[in-house]
Amino acid sequence: MPFNVRDMIEKTGRISSTNQQYLAAGMFTILIMTIPLGAGAYPNTVMIEVAFYSIVTMGLIMLTGFTGQISLGHAALFGCGAYVSAILTTRYLVPPWPALFLAAGFTGAIAYAVGRAMFRLHGLILAGVTLALNLLFYYLIGSISGLTGGAMGIMNIPPLSVAGYTSQSVLFNYYLLWTIAILLLIFSLNLADSRFGRALRSINTHAGGSEEAAQVLGVNIMKYKVWVFVLSAVYASIAGSVYAHYTRIIEPNTFMLQFSALVALMAIIGGRSSPWGAFLGAGLIVSIRQLLREFMPLIIGGPTGSYELIAYGVILVVALLFLPQGLFPIVKKAILRRKPVSQ
Amino acid sequence: MDFSIALQIFLSGLNLGCIYTALGLGFFIVYNVTRVLNLAQGEFVMLGGMLTVSLYTAGTPLAAAIAISVVITSLVGAGIYRAVIYPARKAPGVTKVFLTLGCAFIIEGIALRVWGWEFRSLPAFFNTPTIKFWDATIFGQTPWVIGITLLMVIGLFLFFGRTIHGKALRACANEPLGAKTMGISIERMALFSFILAAGLGAVVGALITPLTMTSYSMGLPLTAKGLLAAFVGGITRAEGVILGGIIYGMIESITAGLIPGGYHGVIALAILIGILLIRRRGILVTAGKG
Repeated sequence: MPFNVRDMIEKTGRISSTNQQYLAAGMFTILIMTIPLGAGAYPNTVMIEVAFYSIVTMGLIMLTGFTGQISLGHAALFGCGAYVSAILTTRYLVPPWPALFLAAGFTGAIAYAVGRAMFRLHGLILAGVTLALNLLFYYLIGSISGLTGGAMGIMNIPPLSVAGYTSQSVLFNYYLLWTIAILLLIFSLNLADSRFGRALRSINTHAGGSEEAAQVLGVNIMKYKVWVFVLSAVYASIAGSVYAHYTRIIEPNTFMLQFSALVALMAIIGGRSSPWGAFLGAGLIVSIRQLLREFMPLIIGGPTGSYELIAYGVILVVALLFLPQGLFPIVKKAILRRKPVSQ
Repeated sequence: MDFSIALQIFLSGLNLGCIYTALGLGFFIVYNVTRVLNLAQGEFVMLGGMLTVSLYTAGTPLAAAIAISVVITSLVGAGIYRAVIYPARKAPGVTKVFLTLGCAFIIEGIALRVWGWEFRSLPAFFNTPTIKFWDATIFGQTPWVIGITLLMVIGLFLFFGRTIHGKALRACANEPLGAKTMGISIERMALFSFILAAGLGAVVGALITPLTMTSYSMGLPLTAKGLLAAFVGGITRAEGVILGGIIYGMIESITAGLIPGGYHGVIALAILIGILLIRRRGILVTAGKG
C-alpha cells in the first residue's frame, strides 16, 4: 500500500489542534462533573457503566485505531486486572489502591510478554490468536480455582477509598470513575499527538500507514506495537480493578469472548480514530442496552439479553456498511461546524 | 503406560480431533473462496445443534431432523452472505470480519430468544450403546463423529478436486481475475461457499450435541477453537486444517489424560498458540505462499 501522508491524516482524523482538544476535554469534564447534580441515582449508575466501557475501549482504540492491530481478547486484560486486584485484596489483604497498581503492573508485564510473541503474527491470524488467548484466560480462571474461586468467583472484595473516605454510594463511584476516565482521556489525547502517537499511526495499514515505510523511516514497529499493547492492557486492567472493587463480586463469565466483542463493537461505532470515540461508542451502546432493558419486557417479553445481542449485531452491521469511520468524525464536524484545519 | 489407557486417550483424541477438523473446515471453505474470516461459523454450529434438538424432541426422526437443520442453517448462511457480506464485497478484509461478528451477535440473540439459557442435549445417534473395546470405553456417539467427519472430508476432497463447481470455487480464491475471465461468477461462488460452510457447520452441531450439549452462547468459543485449529495447520490448505484439528484434539486428549485437575483446556490452547508462533502461516504452508 502506498504511503500517503494526506490520506493518513484524513483517515486517522488528525487532532486539529492541541488547544481545541484541551478546550473540548475541559468542556467535557465540566459536563460530566455536573451531570450527577441534576440526575438521579439510576442515570448515574448507568453512567458508571459507560465509564468502565469507555476506559477499556479507549485502550483498544489506541491499539486498533491508532496502530491498526486488531484485538478480540480485551476481556482477558480487563479480567486480569479484576482478578489480580480481587485476589490481592481478599487473600493477601493488600489495600485496594496498591492492589490496583500492582494489578496494572502485572497485567502490563503479561501483555509485554504476550505482545513480544504475538506481534510476530499479522492481520487476521493475530485477530484469531487474541480470540484464542481470551478463551485461554477463561479456562485458566476455571482451572486455578484454588486461587480464583473457579466458577463461583470471588466475593466480598473491599471497596476503594479516597483519603480515608470509603463509600459505596453511587455519587462517590461516579466521580471516582469519571476522574480516572478523564485523566486517561487527556493522557490518550496527548499521546496521540506525541512522537509515540505519530509512530503508531505510521504503522497503521488501515489508515494509509505502512509497516515497511515506517521501518524505512526508522520506526521499530515491534517495539511500538508491544508498548501500545502494554498501554492498552494497563487501561483495561485499571478498569477491571475498579470494576472488581465497585461490584465487589466477580465471576469468570463476565470476562468471556462476548465482552471482548462488545468492546470492539464500541470502538468501531464510536470511531477508532480518536479516544473520544470510546465515549461515543460506550455511551451509545450502554444507552441502547438500558432502553431495551426498560421497554422490551413490556412490549414483547422474553429474556432482554436476546434483544441486546440482536441490537448490537444490527448496529455493528449497519455502522460498518454505512458509517465505517464511526460516529466521531460526524460529531466532530457538528461541533466544529467548519472544515477541519487545512493540512 | 497401560495399553487400554493409551487406547482410550487415542480414541478420545481422534474424536476431539475430528470435531476440531470439522469446525476448521467451515473457516477453510469460506476463507479460500472469499478471503473472509467468518466469525459466525461457530453460530452455524450452535444453530445446527439447537435446531436438531428441537426437531428431534418434537418427534422428527433423527436423520430428518439433521437434514432439516442443515437446510435451515444453510439458508441462514446464504442470507448472511446476501444481506451483509455482498454489499460490502469491496470493503477491506477487516471490515468483513467485523461484519460477520455482527451476524454472530444477531444469531446468538435470536437463539437466546427462541431457546432460552438452557443447555440442551441429545442421546447418542440412533441410541448407539457405549462400546467396550479392550477395556477402553467408547461413547456411542464417537464412531458417528469419526465416521461422519471422514465422510465430509472425503466429500470435500472429491468436490474440490473432481467436480467443475469445486474447481471453480478454488479458482475464485487463487486467481479472482482469471476466474472472472473464465466466466465464473465470483459472487455466486462466494454465496455457495457460505451455504456449504453453514451446512457443514450444522452437521457438526448435530454431531457434538450428544457429547458436549448445546446452548445459545457456545458459538464464539467454538469459533475461537476452530479458527485456531485451522490457522495452526494452515487455513489455505485442506490438509493443513485436518492436521491442525487432529493435533489440537490429540494434545487436548493427552493433556487431559496425563495432567489431572482440568488444566487440559489451558495447556492445549497454549501449545497450539505456541506452534502457531513458530509456524506463523501454519504447519503445512511454506513461507511466501498463502
